[in-house]
Amino acid sequence: MKFNLRNIFSTILTITLLSVSSLTGKVESANAVFDNLTPCKDSTAFQKRLTTSVKKLENRLKLYTPNSKEADFLVKEIESTKTRFERYQSSNLLCGKEGLPRIIASGQWDHANEFVIPGILFIYITGWIGWVGRKYVQYAATTENPFENEIIINVPIAISIINSGFLWPVNAWKEFISGDLLASDDNVTVSPR
Amino acid sequence: MSYFLKYLSTAPVLLTVWLSITSGFIMFINFVYPDPLTFPSF
Repeated sequence: MKFNLRNIFSTILTITLLSVSSLTGKVESANAVFDNLTPCKDSTAFQKRLTTSVKKLENRLKLYTPNSKEADFLVKEIESTKTRFERYQSSNLLCGKEGLPRIIASGQWDHANEFVIPGILFIYITGWIGWVGRKYVQYAATTENPFENEIIINVPIAISIINSGFLWPVNAWKEFISGDLLASDDNVTVSPR
Repeated sequence: MSYFLKYLSTAPVLLTVWLSITSGFIMFINFVYPDPLTFPSF
């Protein structure tokens, strides 16, 4: 069997489609149950953590003369601790028994802002960087001196490529369909076997 | 001057500039909005 990216991709797609269609008979709610977690605003352990961390800082504050540099720092620290706990309380976070907030990465929509949205943003930004770099290397290959253009960057052209990269998912899909995204097997060197 | 511009356009220099800007941006965001655990809902 010949292995190439397109084969692997289509195999994965087929398996996914098959497994989804074979399960459609008895689909239950995909949401996981978090019986062992409580919302942070209802968690007593979470509140305890807030009071102990503030208390610790206040005890340290007593050691310094008021309005000194150190005291001001600790006052700010107390304030930021309070706002941090306030923020975790008001968001939809769930806390464990020990009162620490947990990130739910199961992909369900009511916890999307904990993992799914940052994850998609990460893939989008890294994809933008990679796409733009690829475009620039492709541009450099068309110039008279490709190596020099990769070492000494043509900044105006690079910036125009960077600015046009925000639509990369669309462009990548278009290139995948037209077959420009992946190199053909003939262009990929394989070690003798 | 053109040689200096050429120097500024070399890959290591641009990389340093780029990463300095990026890290500065991330530091600024963490200064303005510290301790983010979830993506903020505006």
